[in-house]
Amino acid sequence: MAFTLYSLLQAALLCVNAIAVLHEERFLKNIGWGTDQGIGGFGEEPGIKSQLMNLIRSVRTVMRVPLIIVNSVAIVLLLLFG
Amino acid sequence: MHPAGLAAAAAGTPRLPSKRRIPVSQPGMADPHQLFDDTSSAQSRGYRAQQAASGLGYPATSTLPQAAFLADPVSNMAMAYGSSLAAQGKELVDKNIDRFIPVTKLKYYFAVDTVYVGKKLGLLVFPYLHQDWEVQYQQDTPVAPRFDVNAPDLYIPAMAFITYILVAGLALGTQDRFSPDLLGLQASSALAWLALEVVAILLSLYLVTVNTDLTTIDLVAFLGYKYVGMIGGVLMGLLFGKMGYYLVLGWCCVSIFVFMIRTLRLKILAQAAAEGVPVRGARNQLRMYLTMAVAAAQPLLMYWLTFHLVR
Repeated sequence: MAFTLYSLLQAALLCVNAIAVLHEERFLKNIGWGTDQGIGGFGEEPGIKSQLMNLIRSVRTVMRVPLIIVNSVAIVLLLLFG
Repeated sequence: MHPAGLAAAAAGTPRLPSKRRIPVSQPGMADPHQLFDDTSSAQSRGYRAQQAASGLGYPATSTLPQAAFLADPVSNMAMAYGSSLAAQGKELVDKNIDRFIPVTKLKYYFAVDTVYVGKKLGLLVFPYLHQDWEVQYQQDTPVAPRFDVNAPDLYIPAMAFITYILVAGLALGTQDRFSPDLLGLQASSALAWLALEVVAILLSLYLVTVNTDLTTIDLVAFLGYKYVGMIGGVLMGLLFGKMGYYLVLGWCCVSIFVFMIRTLRLKILAQAAAEGVPVRGARNQLRMYLTMAVAAAQPLLMYWLTFHLVR
């Protein structure tokens, strides 16, 4: 029962970090998840895969700078308070 | 901003009186579109005028020992500047808070009355006879639950959450396992599971590209209804042991499952499918799976959050 709000925050930070380190050219293109491979025309609705790729790309673009700040704060706090 | 603020402070008029708005209300009139009963009266209006008058008077003349400090013109100006800065900051926060947390919409979710709460609790425990689950549609504001029993509210989930924490403390106390920080741990754990559920459901709604009018607050309200069943289960478990706990929890789990499916079906699935006609395609099938997954997660969480409380 050690599932607290703090551990949820830590898990969320780790997940967002994991999404941010996926490299476009070396990794995503090799498994077919690159952002230029997903545009399925102006069809009716995008499938789950293209939604996921859009989500990964937007998270990487939006969260790059805030992640630097949040990670630095987390590192300092963990060093000080364990 | 700084030169303008200093100039206004140099003019010497504090901004406080302009912020005091005397409410123009008739206490006897019952407006049917009002959300809450207006309890302001002439007595409170007189009190507010008195407060405004005294607020104006205090920096000028006083015989307190701090009078020397306050009469100094520089500190006077600094105080006026500081108060105008605080007022501007408050205005900024008030304008922008509505972008992140829809505070003005929150009040609709708490506009409940006793009849609604009674009917809703009955519906949560016995949803099998209710026929019409559709909410009467209202343009841009959420439907106040007072007017429609199908509308989601935040009063029952909030009260049920607090009662769940208290009942958990009671259960731990009867087993000699109680300590005050455990209450905080229970509350934090239940809130964390709620946050995780909301994030997971919002993520899957985004991935399946469902166009619904299901807002985040609605979702929090629906996910908070399971605390009612949890309280019932734990109380029965305290009174009648494990058998009572399993019986009541099983009944509440099935009721919440049916309740969630019938409510979410109208919000997530397309209109035609909600009327019972099976529509083609993988999309509606995916939406049906999503609805069933959300509804099936409720009994699981109800069991997970209560089984350690009943021995």
